[in-house]
Amino acid sequence: MFEAPVQKLIDELARLPGIGQKSAQRIAFHLLHVEETDARRLAEAVVEMRERVRLCARCFNVTDSEECSICRDLRRDPSAICVVERAQDVVVVERTHEFRGRYHVLGGAISPIEGVGPEQLRLRELIARIEPEGVTEVIVATNPTVEGDTTALYLARSLKPLGLTVTRLASGLPVGGDLDYADELTLGRALSGRREM
Amino acid sequence: MRLDWLQLTDVRAYQSLEVRPDPEVNVLVGDNGAGKTTVLEAIGYLASMKSFRRAPDASLIRDGAETAVIRGEFSKGEIRVRVEVEIPRTGRRRVLVNGKRPSTMASVAGEIPLVTFLPDDLDLIKRGPAYRREYLDDLVVSLRPAVAVDLQGYERAVRQRNALLRRDGRYADTMTLDVLDQRIAELGAIVLGLRLDLLERLGPVLSGLYAVLGDGPEQVAWIYERSHGGPIVGVSPRPDLGADLAAALAAARQTDLDRRTTTVGPHRDEIVLTLANRDVRTRASQGEQRSVALGLRVAAYDLLRERGDVPVLVLDDVFSELDEGRSRRLVDRLPEGQVFVSSAREDEVPVRGRRWQVTAGSITGVGEES
Repeated sequence: MFEAPVQKLIDELARLPGIGQKSAQRIAFHLLHVEETDARRLAEAVVEMRERVRLCARCFNVTDSEECSICRDLRRDPSAICVVERAQDVVVVERTHEFRGRYHVLGGAISPIEGVGPEQLRLRELIARIEPEGVTEVIVATNPTVEGDTTALYLARSLKPLGLTVTRLASGLPVGGDLDYADELTLGRALSGRREM
Repeated sequence: MRLDWLQLTDVRAYQSLEVRPDPEVNVLVGDNGAGKTTVLEAIGYLASMKSFRRAPDASLIRDGAETAVIRGEFSKGEIRVRVEVEIPRTGRRRVLVNGKRPSTMASVAGEIPLVTFLPDDLDLIKRGPAYRREYLDDLVVSLRPAVAVDLQGYERAVRQRNALLRRDGRYADTMTLDVLDQRIAELGAIVLGLRLDLLERLGPVLSGLYAVLGDGPEQVAWIYERSHGGPIVGVSPRPDLGADLAAALAAARQTDLDRRTTTVGPHRDEIVLTLANRDVRTRASQGEQRSVALGLRVAAYDLLRERGDVPVLVLDDVFSELDEGRSRRLVDRLPEGQVFVSSAREDEVPVRGRRWQVTAGSITGVGEES
């Protein structure tokens, strides 16, 4: 045990995802030794984020106003929606610069083990967007896990009767790398999902 | 593949241990409880990422210690594979392969081919179907690491379905059940197909082995008894596994809603082994059962070797369970690869090789001996 204020910070840090006791100690002592203004800036950043950031009223991405910058952007194609599990996935897809439509953040995936059913996800909100926004295609970009696959199937069954095109991201090899860098699983997937040329 | 170096820290009775095994035969001799099996268990853990004793990870940690560490370096010609596992009392275990975190556990399991013979191998024959399913599934993954994701996916999907049924019973959301059924049927068909492919290869190998290890030229065959639909025998034309399973899940829906669990699927299937058309489990002698069980392990070894990699062979105290004839026939068939043998009585081990004396918490090489 360390002095109470130090231990308190370590305990808080250790509750964060991906941070164990040792990392928490390292971060706490680092913050003890840096300039006070640096430490304060971190604390203020956390508080400011919590106070200013909220969820986009349309797609549930994080934003600091009523709607997120993507939903407000008039150049985006409103007819295509990319559905993701979490807000951080939006950033990942955005980085590709390949998708010019809008997003919808479900807030998770169907997982009865964790008590998450379709009613816990923002599905109704998605279906409510289809008509008013003139959506014709939904791209499902949930994770390639059992939960992500189940959610994708659920979406396909809910959306197809509305006359939409529903697609799912392909899984395969990382581009630009050598074949021998791919792990067996990825390579195995790519092999079983191969395409004729 | 062979193990060149093994290091244990706080594993069961060992505070610290470092061994450089012989590239060929290693015989571990010591009293019961001295820690022979622990060494073999640790070697097995590096290959399969679980204990062959079916022991929970925490039981590997030495009393009074916080973390058990197993490190090993394997080689095959020029290729070296270093596997390191840290098992803490609380929190997740950490695995490193060549210093890097592997993307999945399955990719580790395929890295080191290893076959273990245990005194409990008779369980494969005598106990419930779960033992035979596990044998098949483990071997499927060792032979084709890339399919581990499908096996795990199937299990996960069934667990999700069971969780939904347990929580909501008859009020479980129909569409969620529908999509889970669809996924379970797809993945289940893959699991079934993999098991059947393996059984088709295994059949002739087992018969051949029985002729050598057993007491006669009787035919070993298998019947795959599905928990739904009819049994599948030998290389009969295979039914549409996915469609059958989808139909069975639909038919079992009401039962499953009542019982709050998934009653059909590969997780409920049975694999019956027969010897001259007799069910080995119920209608074979103890000796015959032992020979078939031994055959299953040797067959695993042979199939792994066919893949092009000589597996590490681990024999934990098996000679005490075998009569002299079977011991001799097994030894005569011992392969060219690296072997680890343990025994409480040195004179029981009918193989030449490097002798290691194991006493509580330490291990000493006592030189070549016959």
